[in-house]
Amino acid sequence: MEIVWESGHRSAYSGERLRWACPCAECRGEAGAPGRLSRVTALPDDELRIQDVTLIGQYALQIGFESGHATGLYTFRYLRSLCDCDECRGLKAPA
Amino acid sequence: MLDALATIQDPDLGRDVVALGMIKELAIDEAGRVSFTFELTTPACPVRDRFKSQAHDAVAGLPGVTAVDVRMTANVRPAFMRPKPSEILPGVKQTIAVASGKGGVGKSTVAVNLAAALRKAGADVGLLDADIYGPSVPAMTNSRTVPEQVNGHLLPIDAHGLKVMSFGQIYPGGEPTIYRGPMVGKAIEAMMIQVDWGRLDYLVIDLPPGTGDASLTLAQAVPLTGVAIVCTPQDVATDIAVKALQMFRKLNVTPLGLIENMSWYVCPDCGHRHDIFGHGGAEAAANRLGVPFLGAVPLEEGIREDADSGTPIVISRPESAGAKAFVEIASQVAARTSIQSFRQLPVINVR
Repeated sequence: MEIVWESGHRSAYSGERLRWACPCAECRGEAGAPGRLSRVTALPDDELRIQDVTLIGQYALQIGFESGHATGLYTFRYLRSLCDCDECRGLKAPA
Repeated sequence: MLDALATIQDPDLGRDVVALGMIKELAIDEAGRVSFTFELTTPACPVRDRFKSQAHDAVAGLPGVTAVDVRMTANVRPAFMRPKPSEILPGVKQTIAVASGKGGVGKSTVAVNLAAALRKAGADVGLLDADIYGPSVPAMTNSRTVPEQVNGHLLPIDAHGLKVMSFGQIYPGGEPTIYRGPMVGKAIEAMMIQVDWGRLDYLVIDLPPGTGDASLTLAQAVPLTGVAIVCTPQDVATDIAVKALQMFRKLNVTPLGLIENMSWYVCPDCGHRHDIFGHGGAEAAANRLGVPFLGAVPLEEGIREDADSGTPIVISRPESAGAKAFVEIASQVAARTSIQSFRQLPVINVR
């Protein structure tokens, strides 16, 4: 998936990266209970392929995977922070 | 000619009017008579007259020009530069939410008069009452008619030239609506999807108080152009208004600005001005938050009387201080929404 931001900056994400970054309660855990992503070390292929992307208002994307998992609402702010292009990586962790 | 016109800057959009595509149908004849159309981004443009005289003077001063004919028109542009219209409200160019956080500050009164003022300026305007529990728009616009259904779509009620839709029309009478949260969301969605709104320049949405289901549903279902926040001058109202504003910021909905309602009262007997709830609280909050202050509306018996009798004061008593305040606020809101037409939202591609 690719996003071109209002500033013109481009971010590219693989399905795998987005799946492991899913912010939903089931994946992240809630109320102190650990989520699924902290319990598993591998996910089947259909969990990693994006099926569709729905715009939620103008603040987030709902990303659906081929497995049917679609409960994660990825806010634009979050997606922007996930960008790992050379430029953004440089900003996050100066070498 | 265009160079001369390009010296005119749009104060809100920060670019010149030629680059913004506002100058159209420019023609000049052998006698040196020039005519063109100046297309504003809203009929409620606050600088309409200034633009007209600036355009006239810029061209009239050029050598060889003997006469200038400026035609002022307006064409509201859709919010955001996006490839296709929103699926949920395809014919609607701009969606403006009116919210407050706190109840009883006059959201519905402001929403109704804002819609009526935009309509008076010449725009096609709809008014959606998203207050499921306490719908007051039908009474304030005298539109207590049950909507007709055509081809599975409800037709909004025409009131004072506005297309009005409210739960209070679907379930008229004194029976309360007893709904849990998710039902509220469904009801609001239905009033967008299952209603034939047709083509509208502006859809004004009167939100219920609170920062919960109704506001969330709306912010998730449609790309809102922006939200205008209403409050009274006293601290308990501005404090909650700030919460509402911050909620919309979190949802990436642009705050169009703050409106101070019940800002002052002029006693009809002694003529003295009283600041019953204090004064200037909203403006101070707007400055603190870095959002525009859209204007102040007085506490007037006429506003209340005309709301109760079903005619917005901008229509019934256009010369009153209240009506003038609403008209001024409507132009400010329209100018702020125009800015959103030139915003490019993130573009998402999936391969």
